[in-house]
Amino acid sequence: MKLLWRAVLIVATGAGLGLTWNAASGRGFALERNALVKEGDQVVEAPQARQRLEKGALFLDARPVDFYEMSHIPGALPLPEEDFDRAFAKIEPRLRESLDVIVYCAGFGCEASHIVARKLKDRGIPAEILHEGWPAWQDAGYPVKPGREP
Amino acid sequence: MNVLARASLQWALGLLLGAVFIYASWDKILHPAEFARIVYHYQLIGPSRAVGPLPANLFAVTLPWIELLVGLLLASGLWRREAALVAAVMLLAFVLAVGAALVRGIDIENCGCFTVTGTGRQAGLKLIAGDLVLLAAAAALLVPRRSALTSAGPAT
Repeated sequence: MKLLWRAVLIVATGAGLGLTWNAASGRGFALERNALVKEGDQVVEAPQARQRLEKGALFLDARPVDFYEMSHIPGALPLPEEDFDRAFAKIEPRLRESLDVIVYCAGFGCEASHIVARKLKDRGIPAEILHEGWPAWQDAGYPVKPGREP
Repeated sequence: MNVLARASLQWALGLLLGAVFIYASWDKILHPAEFARIVYHYQLIGPSRAVGPLPANLFAVTLPWIELLVGLLLASGLWRREAALVAAVMLLAFVLAVGAALVRGIDIENCGCFTVTGTGRQAGLKLIAGDLVLLAAAAALLVPRRSALTSAGPAT
């Protein structure tokens, strides 16, 4: 029994040290915030993204192409993070014409949309990230489309 | 095995396992947000619509310090069995997390085991095998001491 209590004490002490370090060291981060969002990332919620879709915003799907082809946001173009350079070259002229670009991926723990948005920013194309990505869009009952775009 | 040999083995195992845990904790302590991003990739404790990012973030912030504490205790010999118990539970959890990722087809390029900022080890069968070896070492340290000699360390 003493063994168990001491083990619990080790875990509790370690956890306490971790929380203290996170709060006081200057290396910590806000625990209620998604750690994928870095300084400079622009995030948009699904309802606002939907409104902007109707006004002509260009959506980019950062998931692997297979998922894009299964279903995607209407009008979205595939720009998979894993094949960024090749896919970007294909759609670059269209991207440079667009004034409003929103990137999404599989949501929650998915980092692809953040990476793609940062790469676009590096190339002079500002892009926002759809918060919670594809699941947020689907769960809201917004329109989706299978297959490729023309 | 005689008492002296057994005590020496336990000290050696404690030092080895302790060093692994201390090393494993360091980069995560220095870069907690980067470690949180790796925790997300496992998709086990969020972020999700139901729980948000908080459980995964709490895990990312606290686990490295538990690893450090366990490592220091294992290496120093203080509360070694207790630290070995915590180490065994953590290693078992790591094995299950990597196994779950493999079963669900989640490709995790950096397991977050030792480094979170550079290129790390891929979460796969090799990693599970390595964790099982460490788990065996932790289990060996859990065996109760039978002599006061073990708490005094190996004779020189």
